[in-house]
Amino acid sequence: MVKKRHNPGVEFQKQEQTGISPVMSRLVQKSPSLCTDLPLDNSDICTKLYLLRQLLKSCFGPTGRLKQVHNNIGGHVITTSSSSVLLPAISSSQSFINLIKTSILNHVSRFSDCGLFAAILCLSLIEQAKQSGLSFSVAIKLNKHLLGLCTGYLQQEDCGCKVKLDFCSSHNLITLARSIISSKPACVLTESEALHISKLAVHAFLLTVPCNRPGEVRLGKAVTVSVEGHPVLNSAVFPGLLVDAPDVSGIDESENMRSNPLRVVLFSASLAGDLSELGDGIFDVHPGVDTDLQILDRLLELVKQVVEDEVKLFVCQKVIHPVVQQHLKSRGVIVIERLGNPLMETLTQLTGAQPVATLHTTIPAKAYGEVRDLSIIHFGSRTMLQLHPPGESSICTMILCHRNETMLGELKVAFQKTEHVLRLTLREPSALLGGGCTETHLAAYVRHKSIQEVPETLSALGCSQAELLLGAGGFCRSLESVAAALEHDGGNSLMDLTHAHHWTHPADVMREHLDESLGFCGCGLMEGSPEQRRAYLNTNYPQFSPAPLSRDTAVQPRVLDSFAAKFNALQVAVETANLALDVRYLVQDIN
Amino acid sequence: MAAIVSCCPATSKYSACAVFHRSCRQLASGNRKLYCKTLLNKAPRAMLACTIVNHRQHVGLQKLSALAGITHSSLGPNKMYKFIRDETSGESALACSCFRLLENLELTCGVGQLVYETVRAHQKVYGAGSGCLLFLAGAWSRAATECLQKGVPVARIISAMSEGMDVCLDVCRKCSVSTESLGAAPAESCAATSQGLGLNLLKKNTAEASQASCHLRGTRQAADKTLNASGRRKIKLSRHFYETEAEDASTATQPPRRKAPDVALVAAGLSHGYVGAMNLVIEASRLQSKNNPQDVSGSTFDVSKVATCVLPGLPEENSCVLQGCVVHVSDEQASVAHHLKEQHLKVALINGDLSDTYRHLGFKRLQAVQCVSDRVHFLSSSKAEEWTEKVLTLLLNLEVNLVVVSGIASEKVIQRCCRLHILVVEKANVSVLKALADATGAVPVTYATQLSNRCVGAGVKVAIWGDLAGRQTKPSTAVSVSTGERDGLVTAVLASCVPSKLQALEDQFWACAYRLHHALTDAVLLPGAGVTEMLCVHHLRERAERRHDAGRSGGGVQQTKAGRAANPYRGLVMNLMAEGLVDYISTVMVNAGGVSKVRARTAVSQRLKNHAENQAKFSQLSFAGEQEDGSLRCSDAPAAQVYDGMSVKQEAWRRALDLVLLVLQTDAEIITGVGPNHDAAEGDMMLL
Repeated sequence: MVKKRHNPGVEFQKQEQTGISPVMSRLVQKSPSLCTDLPLDNSDICTKLYLLRQLLKSCFGPTGRLKQVHNNIGGHVITTSSSSVLLPAISSSQSFINLIKTSILNHVSRFSDCGLFAAILCLSLIEQAKQSGLSFSVAIKLNKHLLGLCTGYLQQEDCGCKVKLDFCSSHNLITLARSIISSKPACVLTESEALHISKLAVHAFLLTVPCNRPGEVRLGKAVTVSVEGHPVLNSAVFPGLLVDAPDVSGIDESENMRSNPLRVVLFSASLAGDLSELGDGIFDVHPGVDTDLQILDRLLELVKQVVEDEVKLFVCQKVIHPVVQQHLKSRGVIVIERLGNPLMETLTQLTGAQPVATLHTTIPAKAYGEVRDLSIIHFGSRTMLQLHPPGESSICTMILCHRNETMLGELKVAFQKTEHVLRLTLREPSALLGGGCTETHLAAYVRHKSIQEVPETLSALGCSQAELLLGAGGFCRSLESVAAALEHDGGNSLMDLTHAHHWTHPADVMREHLDESLGFCGCGLMEGSPEQRRAYLNTNYPQFSPAPLSRDTAVQPRVLDSFAAKFNALQVAVETANLALDVRYLVQDIN
Repeated sequence: MAAIVSCCPATSKYSACAVFHRSCRQLASGNRKLYCKTLLNKAPRAMLACTIVNHRQHVGLQKLSALAGITHSSLGPNKMYKFIRDETSGESALACSCFRLLENLELTCGVGQLVYETVRAHQKVYGAGSGCLLFLAGAWSRAATECLQKGVPVARIISAMSEGMDVCLDVCRKCSVSTESLGAAPAESCAATSQGLGLNLLKKNTAEASQASCHLRGTRQAADKTLNASGRRKIKLSRHFYETEAEDASTATQPPRRKAPDVALVAAGLSHGYVGAMNLVIEASRLQSKNNPQDVSGSTFDVSKVATCVLPGLPEENSCVLQGCVVHVSDEQASVAHHLKEQHLKVALINGDLSDTYRHLGFKRLQAVQCVSDRVHFLSSSKAEEWTEKVLTLLLNLEVNLVVVSGIASEKVIQRCCRLHILVVEKANVSVLKALADATGAVPVTYATQLSNRCVGAGVKVAIWGDLAGRQTKPSTAVSVSTGERDGLVTAVLASCVPSKLQALEDQFWACAYRLHHALTDAVLLPGAGVTEMLCVHHLRERAERRHDAGRSGGGVQQTKAGRAANPYRGLVMNLMAEGLVDYISTVMVNAGGVSKVRARTAVSQRLKNHAENQAKFSQLSFAGEQEDGSLRCSDAPAAQVYDGMSVKQEAWRRALDLVLLVLQTDAEIITGVGPNHDAAEGDMMLL
């Protein structure tokens, strides 16, 4: 197994580290690869899986606990509870953990929401499969089958935990947005602030949907600008694009700027007058030649053409040479430099301009774009230029304000997630009941269905009735444990035995007040009543078929989850768990 | 009573270590050590999670409280200097404010970083109030810890504390005093407002309400008439209540045009013990408003046009405020300035360095350039020469006599300019550059070669600061650059014989300047010297009591439809929050007057009790010390009222609470970049 071979890479590194002169070469023995048999039986991996589950569980939901992410040597501290920030910060020495992490992160990058749901469910499924004593191959088959039951049910028209989204009213959209925003406690928002941001999120989303454009519809973009130190309620949405323009105060707005539309040129090449794009290396230069001056001359020539072509707005992604700026400004052109890469695509979309990537050709006429109008906006200490597209606007800018950097960072993440989730509703105009009700409902459904399973399916699955019940039990407990993870203050999680919605009993309420305090279920559709029968989650309650609620239009759910995100998260969780259960060996190169 | 406060959980390595001597007087009573640790990281790809297992002993909150402990002595009018010593390098620093203290500490733990970020953000905007922020963060984190120990769920603590903050901010709004009414009768208006604050109770009881209105007097007499006319509106008198409805009443009392506030009076109330610094600020404000024809009244104070210039070696009496921008120049430049004084000069503004090698921000130099030539050239030496020549010719052609540079200028250029009687002034602030540009019509350019007729401004004067010329021993003179009436630039020259004190003096000046600036922008002030805090305490306790009763009498009624039961812990949490404020007031008293903590607390609670019993107004606490008989002197006839800035205080409180809530909700730290071979001696660390 052990190979002795000359490994120059390793050797060189070692020499650099130890400072030994590279003249002497050495033979370094390569360590053998490390092989772990049955990783799920490994106690170290199990402890780490458990730790990861506890860590993520404690972050889940609107009352979840926060985590401080920092490097302990004075680096920036992030306080967060959202999976998209937390998971990238976690990197384990165990590749098994990283496998699960990567899978969840992939889901988050595509759907933004339900990352913690997927992670907790996946880790619970692994643990339940281990506890059940089923062979992993049977557990995998059963999980697949049960997942099929769930997805089939969720796609049914009469699914009891699905709500059709009505785009005629913004009510459900705002509820959906608020559910996401208030599930991020690190934003430290009051209820009215959360509502304000949710409304703005829906407003911004609606602004990005073009209304009367024939043919192919392309969604616009909502750009976020964060301003620290202002109250949250000052946050606002502006149509068009806001770009930072610190020294536009000199612009005379009355001057020919009103002669719209204004011609725009957009440079992606640096106009700093340097040769940075040539890359590293040694340059041979004649002594009499001043490269800087020559480039500047070229730039000025370019600018001359631009001015002749009556461009009024000159935008560059990178730095513009001060002489060029002065030249442009003296001819009444508005200059914006250092736009940054993230805004380039949006600005291209807004103006219709094609970014110019070189200085060495004349600019073709079709590379120019247009803006209809521009105005100056002052927000706090920032001065920004608001650009309106020539046609219908599908681009808007959201200014997010918060009192401090930490909370603003989290608010920005939450807002971007919300915007993404709202976009997903266009593809699938439905939502799932939030607050744990979908999970408990699905669990009750799966439990009920698996009892009634006919022998044919059993033989197709190749397992016995007992195995199916064991597998289904684990699957349902996993779902219920996700619902139960929403409670962090020692309260009890229950489910009613008619509609299978999720209920919480706070730990601190006196016995006699229990009935009164029950109030509403997790999603807010059901009101508690004394004759309701409830069972604690993860106990042996009798199986039943969860009845869909009779739809009373007056009662609207208070918490909604994204259908698309949760549907995918469910699949990702089960498939990742199955993959993890399927791993027989871990082979690790430890060199 | 020596206390060792370990900021982070015990560890074997200490990288930074600071020892605080609380001043000679208090040294005997205790000195504190604060250790901050650094974890060395070995392997970059691993994660470490430090989980706080026991919620009832929240380590994060304890750290916050420990950190806040170091700022106790920097509260109040008499601040004590702190000497920070790094035992490993032997370096030391003198810190005179909470912000400087934090700045000089190496805070590597998560909570420490969070605290520093918060304080820095606050300091950047408000220039003062960091001590208050950190103290309350500490006091309220202790309150939160106590709640946790009593088993209150986190969600309940958060909601009750947020509500408590609303109460406090509301009190601030209601007891604020407008700056324009300050000159008239500050004491009365204070009484009126504190009286009006009893409103929540009085609303139910009209008899008491009319009684309350009887207390209103002084400047409010006109208003009283309106009030007595209609019985019910009596309560609506205060302009801080029912603003929309009481409009007619307020228009009757207030003059139609906004009266200019008495800047000196406002400033005196805000000096908080730094009379010297505040006098300089008043002078600066006076100079600024004199120059601004639109703002003769002095209703604003533009800090961005204020600069400071420190003069080591001169006694502090030499500190003064001058018009324009004062900078240090060499003797050679001083002689040029001497030559140029009393003239209207043409000015060029350079936004960058004045040297041939300077390139604008974002310019990437080529790393390796080789000259290829068939002959031997010595051009590299003459390139700089060529550039200097070019710039000088340009400056001469444009008849520029003064070049103001935001960066530095090369020695050679300065010398050559001096010979041509062109004064080069370096290291000017960007805001100074902007003010000069606005006043003279000059356009700042990045490269001197960009200069053209359009870029040159006119009408600047230079003057040598006379007092200095004779006494200065160092080869440096101060020159003031000013456009006279137009630019509004003022510079505070701060002198001290003790060089290490200069930073403190500068900080004091800026704290006063920001306080005045924000007070004039807000146009309102809060009654200072603990009155606002005591009102908050009073109202927090009152609210805590009220909810408690309501909860007992009809628990069901309190419930909203959302099913949220009334918070059974509201009373407890609010009382603890109020306790934090009491702690704040008494600490300020201790720092100010040499009274013991116990005595200070007794005085505060006595005052609160009196207020609750007979609705007497809160008088400002005296910080002047104790009377012979041992009781605290009541400042019934105060020499000068003390005021606090409204937005500063509100923002500091809010940020303090945000900090506490963030830390309270945090249950684990994720430390990135710690290897598996890390000495995981700490019991609460788990490697992932």
